[in-house]
Amino acid sequence: MIHPDDHPMTSLARPAPVLELRRVRKSYPGVVALDGVDLAIYPNEILGLVGENGAGKSTLMKILVGLVQPDGGAIQASGKPIALADPSDAIRHGIGMVFQDGSMVPNLSLVENLFLCHERGFRRLGLLSRRAMRERAASLLKEVNIHTDVETPIAEVPPAVRQMVELTRLLWQSTLYGQANPILILDEPTTVLNEGERATLFRILESVKRRASIILISHRLQEVVEASDRIVILKDGRNVTELPAARARVAEIEQLMVGHAFSADRYREEEQAAPRPEQVLEVEGLRKRGAFDSISFSVRGGEIVALVGLVGSGKEEICKCIAGLQRPDAGRVRIAGRDLAPGSPSHAVASGQGYVPIDRRSEGLALNLSVAKNVNLLVLDRLRRAGLVNPGQERANAARWMSECRIKAPSPSTPCGTLSGGNQQKAIMAKWLSSDVKLLVLDHPTRGVDVGAKDDIYRLLRQLARDGIGMIVMCDTLEEDIGLSHRLMVMKDGRLVGEVACPLGKKPTPGDIIGMVV
Amino acid sequence: MMPDWRDPAAASHRPVGLAASLAAVRRWVRHLGIEGQVVSLAVVVALFTIGTGGRYLTGSNVQVILSLAAIPTIIAVGLHQVVVLGGMDLSVEGVVALCVVFVGLLTRNNMNRNDVGMWIIPVTLGIGAAAGFVSGACNAKLRIPSFIVTLGMSWVLWGFAVFVSQGQTVALLDSRFHVFVTGNVGGIPNLAILAVLLTVFLQVLQDRSQFGRYMYAIGGDEVVARHAGVPIDRVKIVIFTTAGLFYGLSALLLTTRLGGSQAITGNNLVFPAVTAVAVGGVALTGGIGGAKNAALGALIVTALNDGLILMHVNPYAQDAVNGAVLVVAVALTLDRKKLGFIK
Amino acid sequence: MPTDALRNGEVSGQDQHARARSRGVPALAYATGLLAVLVVLFSLGNRHFFSLYNLNTIASYAAILLVVGLGQMCTILIGGIDLSVGGLMSLTAVVFVLSLRIIGYWAYPLCLALGVAVGYVNGTILTRVRIPSFLATLGTGGIMSSLALLVSPLPVDVPASHYALLSVVNGSVLHLKNLLLLALLFYAFFHVVLRLTVAGNHILFVGSNITMSWMSGIDIVRTRNLAYVLSGLAASLAAILVSCGQFGGDPTLGSVYILTSIAAVVVGGTAMTGGAGGPVNTLIGALILSVMENGMNVVGVNAYFQQSILGGVTIVSVYLTFDRTKVPVVK
Repeated sequence: MIHPDDHPMTSLARPAPVLELRRVRKSYPGVVALDGVDLAIYPNEILGLVGENGAGKSTLMKILVGLVQPDGGAIQASGKPIALADPSDAIRHGIGMVFQDGSMVPNLSLVENLFLCHERGFRRLGLLSRRAMRERAASLLKEVNIHTDVETPIAEVPPAVRQMVELTRLLWQSTLYGQANPILILDEPTTVLNEGERATLFRILESVKRRASIILISHRLQEVVEASDRIVILKDGRNVTELPAARARVAEIEQLMVGHAFSADRYREEEQAAPRPEQVLEVEGLRKRGAFDSISFSVRGGEIVALVGLVGSGKEEICKCIAGLQRPDAGRVRIAGRDLAPGSPSHAVASGQGYVPIDRRSEGLALNLSVAKNVNLLVLDRLRRAGLVNPGQERANAARWMSECRIKAPSPSTPCGTLSGGNQQKAIMAKWLSSDVKLLVLDHPTRGVDVGAKDDIYRLLRQLARDGIGMIVMCDTLEEDIGLSHRLMVMKDGRLVGEVACPLGKKPTPGDIIGMVV
Repeated sequence: MMPDWRDPAAASHRPVGLAASLAAVRRWVRHLGIEGQVVSLAVVVALFTIGTGGRYLTGSNVQVILSLAAIPTIIAVGLHQVVVLGGMDLSVEGVVALCVVFVGLLTRNNMNRNDVGMWIIPVTLGIGAAAGFVSGACNAKLRIPSFIVTLGMSWVLWGFAVFVSQGQTVALLDSRFHVFVTGNVGGIPNLAILAVLLTVFLQVLQDRSQFGRYMYAIGGDEVVARHAGVPIDRVKIVIFTTAGLFYGLSALLLTTRLGGSQAITGNNLVFPAVTAVAVGGVALTGGIGGAKNAALGALIVTALNDGLILMHVNPYAQDAVNGAVLVVAVALTLDRKKLGFIK
Repeated sequence: MPTDALRNGEVSGQDQHARARSRGVPALAYATGLLAVLVVLFSLGNRHFFSLYNLNTIASYAAILLVVGLGQMCTILIGGIDLSVGGLMSLTAVVFVLSLRIIGYWAYPLCLALGVAVGYVNGTILTRVRIPSFLATLGTGGIMSSLALLVSPLPVDVPASHYALLSVVNGSVLHLKNLLLLALLFYAFFHVVLRLTVAGNHILFVGSNITMSWMSGIDIVRTRNLAYVLSGLAASLAAILVSCGQFGGDPTLGSVYILTSIAAVVVGGTAMTGGAGGPVNTLIGALILSVMENGMNVVGVNAYFQQSILGGVTIVSVYLTFDRTKVPVVK
C-alpha cells in the first residue's frame, strides 16, 4: 500500500545503497518470521524501522549482524553479494548492533571494553600502553559527548553512557576494518534514557550520521519521525511501505503498523461469554518504584483482561508482582478474596494464581522430564493413595489433560524438550488447568506457536473463561489482545491510562487503540 | 555534561604533610584493590602479637612466616587464574604428587643411579604444564566442568604417582636445590623473593597484556566475550597450563626443602590454596582479582596459621578455623547476581 | 536481559538433533552396557569370577557404594553436590564405635540422627549463606574430618564382647548377608521417596529447572533440605555398614568415598546438571565400580593406580552425561 507521492526519491538523485537485502526469508518450526522482506540502507542516513512485535524486525536485525542465517534471499554490500555467517563477518563489513542494555563485559572498564580484542595497536615493547589506550578512549568518547573517567568499570556507569561506549566501539572497529560507511543498529535505545539523555542521543546520532548509517528501531513513533530520514514499516514478516520521515505523520504510521481492519473470527470471539459477577483478582494501589505507580483494577471470574502497553510501560512488572515473582513497594493483591503475601510464588500459587511465562523453555517446563510429569507437577498431592503418589492416577491425570488440551506427543513419557513450541505451551497450560487455578496470567501465550496450536490455545482460553477462571493476557499483537479480551487496559509509562471495552460484535480496531499506547 | 563518576569527595579537600602522604598511600592501596586484605593482615598480626606476648613479631618468626608462605603463594598464584576465568582447579595435589615423585626418581637420590641435576627444573615444570594442558583441553574443548575435570585429574595423577613411587620415600642427595631453598638474602628467604618476583611478573602481565584483558573478559561474561572475538578455548588452555606450571614449580621447591620425595607430599595443599585465593579477594564467580590478591591471601592464611601454632591451638581446631575462614571469604566475595539460584 | 539475543543465538530452537546430541547418550543403556562388558571381560580373566565368594565380595562393596551413592545422588539430582560425605563418614565411624560401648544398640539411631542433622546443616548453610554447594560441603566436610581425628586420632576397635551388637549388619537371614539386605532396603526406600512422594518428585523438578519450580510454587528450601538430609543419612548409614564389617571405626575412613560416591552416581548415568537419573542408575554405577575394583584386584592392578582409573572413568562419564543445553557456558 504505497501512496504514489510517497515513492522514494529516484535513483538519479540518490547514491547507491551501502547494503541491500532482497526477498529475505526466515522460518522457524511452524512460524514464518520473514516472508520475502526487502531492505536497502543508503549511506549517511538514519533509517527508522517500525512494526509490532512479531513483525520481523528483530529477526531481520539478527540476520544483519550474523546471529541468524536466512532461509532465502540475498544480501549485497555495495552491489556485491556477501554472506554474514557470524557476528565477526558482520563486524568486518561494518555492521554492528547496540543492544538495549549493552553487551559488554561488566567487570571491565570503559576503555577495556572499547578496545577488547583490538588492542594490538597500543602495544609498546610487548605490553599494552595503558596511557595511550586511555587517551585514545577519552578522545573517542569526547566525540560522543562522554567525559566519564575511562577507567570506570562499565557496570558502574549509567545506561546512556554504556550505549555510547558501544556505539563508539562499533565505529572504532569499522575504522580498523577500513569500512567507510558502517551500519549501526540501535535497538530501542531510548527505553533506558531520560528526556535529556534522549535529546543528547539524537544530537549525537545526527553528527554520527556524517560517517555512518544508522538503523533506529523504536516503538516511540514520535521519536522515530523526528530523528529518522526515512521510515520502513514491517508487518507480519513483510514490507508494508517506506516513507520519508519529513512527510510522515505518527497517526498514519500507526495505522500502517497495525492494519486498518480487524480480521474477525481468528480468536473465536463467538465463544466470548459474559463474565461472572465475583471478582477473582483485586489489585489496590500497587506501586513499584521505577516500574509502575498506583495501579488498581479487578478481574472477574471468566473475564479475559488484556494488558496493553509498550516495553517499559510496566505491564510485565505488574504481572510479576501479581504472581509473587517480584515484590511491589506498596499495595495489595487479592485472589478470590485472599490477600497475597508479596514476593512469594508459593503463596500465590496456593491461593489460586497461575503464571504462564513468556519464556517457556527456561521458565515454563522441566524439559528433560516427561510431559506427564510436567502436567502433574501441581497436583501430585492429589494423586496419592495411602500417602504415596499413585502411578496409575498419575497416568490417568496426564492422559486426561493431554487429550483435553490436545497435546500432540508420541506418549505421555516423552520428554517435554522434544515437543513443538505449541505443544509445550499447551503442556504448561494443562499444568495450571489441572490445578485449582482461579486467576491465570499469560505472558505472550502464542509467541512462537504455529497457527494450528494457536487455535487450540484460544479454544483453551475460552474454555477456561467458561469455567469461571479469570485471565490477564499480554499478547504479541494489539489485534490478538482485542480479539481475546473482554476489555483492554492500557499502560503507559507506569500508569494505567485507559480502559477500553471489547464487547462481542463491537470490537475496537487496533488503530483506535494504538494512539493511547504510544 | 555526563556526571563524573570518580569519587566526588576526593577533589574537595586536600590535606597536607604526613596526612597527605598517608592519604596518598590509602588511595594507592584502594586503587590497587587490596584495601580489605591489608586491613585483615594488620588485624591478624595485631591479634597474634598480643596473644603471643610479642613472640609473633620477632625477626625470626617473621622470617618463618615469609618462608612458609612462599610455596602456598606460588600455588595460589597459579590457581587463581583459573578462578578468575570462573572455573576451579582442584588438581594441585595430584600434579604436585606426580612432580615430587619424578624429582625423587630423576635427581641424585638414594634409590637409583639417576642424576639429571639442573635438568629437573624443566622436567618438573614440563610435567606440571602437561597436566594443566590436559585439564584445560578437557574443560575447553570437551566442555567438561573444570571442577570435575581437575578433581578427577588430581585422582588420576595421584594414583599414578603412588604407583610409580611404589609408596616409598626417597631421600634427595643433590644439595644445590636444598641450599637455595633454605637460604636467604639479607634475612629475607630466597623462596619469598622468588614468590614475590613471580607474583609481580604475573600481575604485570595481567594488567598490561592483551591476554590479561581476555582473561578478565571471559571471567566477566563469557558469552559476550566470545562474541567480541576473544579466543576462549586458547585462553582457557593457556591458563590451565600455566597453573600446572606453577604447581610443578611448587612441587620442586617443596620436595627439595623437605630433602625427601614421597607421593603424599602434595596432600592437603588444595584447601589452603583455595582459601588463600578467596581470602585474597579473588571472586569465585570470576572476573575479579589478580596475582597480588592471591599472594596476599596466601600470606594472610599463613600468618593466621603460624599464629595459631604459636598459641598452641589444637591442630584439628586449626582446620576448623581454616574451613570457617574459607566459607566467610567466599561468601563475602561472591557476585550473587551472577549465580542466581544456589544449588 | 541484555545479551539474550546472543545467548538465544547460541541455542537456537531449530536444530533438535544437535540438542539431542549434546544432551548425552541414553544414560541407563550406556551404563548397563558398560557393566555387561566389564563382567564379560573380568570373568574371562578370572576363572573364579562367578564363584559365590567372589560374587559376595563384589556385592558387599557394591552395597556400601550403593548406600553412600544414593545419598550423593539426591544432591546431584537437585543440581548440587555433597563433598562432605567423606568427613561425615569418618566422624560417624568413630562416633558409632565409641558410642557402642556406652549406649549399645542406641548407637545405630544416634549415628543416623547425626547424618540427618549434618545434612540439615548443609542445606541451611546453602540457603542462608548462599555459597555454592561444592564449597559449602567442602568446608563442612573438612571440619568433620578434623573432628573425627579430634574424637579419635587412631582407629578404635569394637571390643569382642560387643560383637553381638554388630549382628544387625554382620548377621544374615536365610544365607543372605544383612549388609546386602539393608542396602537393598535402603534402595527401595529411596525409590519410594524419589518416585512416590511429593517432596521426592520436587527434587527432580528443582534439579531440572529451578526457576520453573520456584515460579510454580515449589518450596525450594524444603526440597533442598530434603536432598541434603538424605545424603547425610546415607553417608552415616554407609559408615555404620563399613565399621561393622571392619569391627572398628577408622577416623580416616571417609576420604576415599568422596570420589567413589560421585563416581557411582555419575558412572551410572546421572547427569551432574541435575534433574535426570535415579536410584537404578546409582545401583548400576555401584555395581560397575565394584566389579572394576574386583577385577583390577584379581588382575593385580595397584590399589592406587585403581584410583587413577576411577578418576578417569568419572571424567569420561561426566563428559558423556552432562547436559550442555542447560548451561550457556561450561566453566
